[in-house]
Amino acid sequence: MPTITLERARFSHFVGRNVTLKEMAKWLPWLGTDTEEVGSDYVKIEYNPNRVDFCSYGGVARAFRGLMGWETGMPKFKVKQGNIVLTVDKSVAEVRPYVVSAVVRDLKIDYEAIRELMEMQEALHWMVGRDRKKASIGVHNLDAIEPPFSYVTCAPNEIKFVPLDKTEEMTPQEVLEKHEKGIAYKSEVDWASRYPLIVDRNGDVLSFPPIINGELTRVVEDTRNLFIDVTGTELNPISRSLNVLVTALADMGGTIESVPVEYSDHVLVTPDLAPQKMKLHVGYSNERLGLNFSEAQTIEALKKSRLDAKKVETGVLDVTIPAYRIDILHEIDLVEEVAIGYGYYNLTPTIPATVTTGKQHRVSEVAADVRQIMVGLGFVEALNFVLANEVDHYQKMRRKAEELVILANPVSTEYSIIRNDLLPSLMKNLADSKHHVFPQRMFEVSDVIKLDDDSETYTERRIHAAAVSSHPTANFTEIKSILESLLMNLGFKNWTVKETNHPSFLAGRVATVSLGNMEVGVVGEIHPEVLNNFELENPTGAFEIDLEKIIKAFK
Amino acid sequence: MVELRENEQKTLLALEKLKGKGPVDQVVKISGLAHAAVMRAALSLTEKKLVRTYERKQTLISLSEEGRNYSEIGLPERRLLNALIKLGGEAKVNSAVEEAGLEKRFLSVALGWLNRKGWATIKKGTLKTMKEPQTGYDENLLRLLTEKEPLIIEDLSQELQKAVSVLKGRRLMEIEEKILRELELTDDGWNLVKKGIEVSGEVSQLTPELIRTGKWRKTKLRRFNVKAPGPPIYPGKIHPAQQIIQHIREIFLEMGFTEIRGSIVQTAFWNFDALFQPQDHPARDVVDTFYLSHPEKGKLPKKDVVEAVAATHENGWKTGSRGWEYPWSPEEAKRLVLRTHTTAETIHYLFEHKEPPVKVFSVDRVYRNEKLDYKHLAEFHQIEGIIMDKKVTLRDLMGTLTEFYHKLGLEKVQFWPSYFPYTEPSMQSTVYVPELKTWVELCGMGIFRPEVLAPFGVKHPVLAWGGGLERLILLKLGIDDIRLLYKNDLGWIRRTPVCQR
Repeated sequence: MPTITLERARFSHFVGRNVTLKEMAKWLPWLGTDTEEVGSDYVKIEYNPNRVDFCSYGGVARAFRGLMGWETGMPKFKVKQGNIVLTVDKSVAEVRPYVVSAVVRDLKIDYEAIRELMEMQEALHWMVGRDRKKASIGVHNLDAIEPPFSYVTCAPNEIKFVPLDKTEEMTPQEVLEKHEKGIAYKSEVDWASRYPLIVDRNGDVLSFPPIINGELTRVVEDTRNLFIDVTGTELNPISRSLNVLVTALADMGGTIESVPVEYSDHVLVTPDLAPQKMKLHVGYSNERLGLNFSEAQTIEALKKSRLDAKKVETGVLDVTIPAYRIDILHEIDLVEEVAIGYGYYNLTPTIPATVTTGKQHRVSEVAADVRQIMVGLGFVEALNFVLANEVDHYQKMRRKAEELVILANPVSTEYSIIRNDLLPSLMKNLADSKHHVFPQRMFEVSDVIKLDDDSETYTERRIHAAAVSSHPTANFTEIKSILESLLMNLGFKNWTVKETNHPSFLAGRVATVSLGNMEVGVVGEIHPEVLNNFELENPTGAFEIDLEKIIKAFK
Repeated sequence: MVELRENEQKTLLALEKLKGKGPVDQVVKISGLAHAAVMRAALSLTEKKLVRTYERKQTLISLSEEGRNYSEIGLPERRLLNALIKLGGEAKVNSAVEEAGLEKRFLSVALGWLNRKGWATIKKGTLKTMKEPQTGYDENLLRLLTEKEPLIIEDLSQELQKAVSVLKGRRLMEIEEKILRELELTDDGWNLVKKGIEVSGEVSQLTPELIRTGKWRKTKLRRFNVKAPGPPIYPGKIHPAQQIIQHIREIFLEMGFTEIRGSIVQTAFWNFDALFQPQDHPARDVVDTFYLSHPEKGKLPKKDVVEAVAATHENGWKTGSRGWEYPWSPEEAKRLVLRTHTTAETIHYLFEHKEPPVKVFSVDRVYRNEKLDYKHLAEFHQIEGIIMDKKVTLRDLMGTLTEFYHKLGLEKVQFWPSYFPYTEPSMQSTVYVPELKTWVELCGMGIFRPEVLAPFGVKHPVLAWGGGLERLILLKLGIDDIRLLYKNDLGWIRRTPVCQR
């Protein structure tokens, strides 16, 4: 989750009154943030990715003032009409079709502001831009360049410019090959025949979106006026990013000025800070929150969440949402704003009125029965991952890998497939426990996943039970008695044991077990080669049964 | 007169044969008792002041692998010297090495020690020796060790003890320290022995025969030292994590919830799309979620539901939401994943059970593509509870959670605003853990968004909460490496108490 470190003095400046660390730590969480660290003179908070406006001091301060009741209702931002034009060349449609822009003047930029500006860009790139894919931001020193500006494309080696943090000129192609940012983000443009570029009237390069800005327009401590571009693949994300950014800059003391963005067939004047409108039904809000608020109380809570609202008819409010709140998708989001404005700490718990009875799943019931019997027989339960690997599950068990459920992106060779039986896991447990006292008797009642053409996922989850008994005198007879004790205690009277062949067991000491005509499992003495493979030294008896079949047999 | 048990008597007699003093091993041999029996007897005899126990440190030496090799073929310097003598006492280094058949890696060792021991001189690549030197103490020690291993340093001559440090420096030897226990009769012990001890026919095990025949009346049954430690016994046991799972399941059942169990493999549709998580959401990335390569894709549900979900993502459909504003891909939704949360099953279940009230829960396996370390697992368990009913509220959710926590023994609970992609309003809860004297984040919760419910025709509010089980287990068991939980080390399970409440 994204974080922001709020230094107390600077935060107080943005809030407009002196705030103590204690107050910050106490109240910020009620905005939905997590306090990660309280330092000597700062609080570091984690905020949720829906609240991108918390990426700036100004954004957090706005909400904080509302929560504390120091300033409520929707913050107003003025946009001065500007005359710096950004022309959009048709050719950008092929690679990165959209751009919006703004000018912000009269800023006093210090070291802290530069850092905040960079962090804001990073946060927006990630949360709205999906790592620059949908939106990427360029912030430029307006006084280093000459308007009007153009959003154009060029051939990969057509022009040269000095990218940010470098001293030598590079072509866009070279940027993609050599510059750290070029290497990191090249997949956004390298498939296109021409690359996007923003230039000024002299052809000087402002930026090569979404990769890198030019060194020419670097923002430094005495920069006063900014030109901002946001480019992307869709219009909404870039407009919203721009709104979040310019409102934060306005809170830093800047004056927002609009830019006419001239597309070939229309002109878009940006930023558009017109608030969003939405209706809220007070009854709906009360029903979800369990409150009995009047229209006035609801309006008051919304105002503390920095929204404006007025009653249009009984039980219906017109809510006005500031342009930086890009997270309000649905009326339900306003309901949460009511709760936050009112204060979650004011909500008292209630118990739902409906009475119901509980019921456990049939699989759990039977699994619990098996556990009780196996524990009574002196076995210790293991609980293993369903994630497994071919070496343990096939090679060491002397089996050929069958049709497996395989991971596309395993995190390690240890976990690359999904098991379809339990015994190999138990063999591994014995291998991990061999320095402990014998006899060792372990069992597992748990999940396996098998291929199944009929299911929606082409796989089927089943529950199996398996056990191993390992000690110097373990043998077929012992483990068969244990399995039969299990079956008997599960309530079965008749079962058939029939000799079979199985690569993991010794020939002549392995059998299938059936209930009626249904084969439910296998029991036997583990093959010495398997024991060698797991570096085990004691003879080991083992069985595995399919509990789903057992459940079927109950019926 | 002190009363002695049979083993004590035998131990005293053995010590008498050893002239009053001897190591435990000797006493074992002479008495014919088991080692543990002698130790127990020694303990009680010491308490009775008949025997004194001495502990002496012993340093045992044995050959390392390299040392064993040298003991067979000789030290490299000796081999080189022998070759040199064979070549007439003077030869080029290369030819001496060839004659000796010395491996290259030993050459510098051999030359170094030839020089240090003063066995030969080297000038301009020529080796020269005067006469064959005597076998050194280091070689003697090596030979002794070949004959008998291990040796006790304290028993060696001074010269050989010096050789120990030489061989140790050359890493030819391994050293182990051991405690040697010796028993000695005290004066009282001697007096007793002198009076003569007759080993009485004590019986330690009461047998069916003794009971049946009544012979037990005439038999002297040995008195046990009730304080003496016995061998440990390990019961069969339910896995500690499973015990806590059971406990949580019981709480849900007590609170009137029905258990649900669904597929571990899910289509991305149920795991993400149905829960209104946009297809470019970072949680869907391969670095966070396990996808399958075989089988790779699954089937989507009925067309009308898929279309409703698609439209909700693209433009909000009939829900009144603006949606996520992107073109929704059915192919992306077909990809198979290991479910990242049990909520994938919950929404599936709600789709099939639309009549209120629905109160369901699960404590079940979920997956994240994480590298394993002391606090992360790729496979773990999620606790999830769901209430769908007419007019249930956020405050009802708080009340239900409070009750749930109380049943877990967590009395102090707080609720905070939070965010989850498929609930609104959303909350995070923290609980006070008295053992840790701190607040810990446990379950997240909220009311399912209309964008989640409407496509499936669910008309009533759905309260949902969930959290990681392992976090709770770590708190309860007080372990700090999460990997221990599913390693199934028998020793750990045997040691962990059944009772964790």
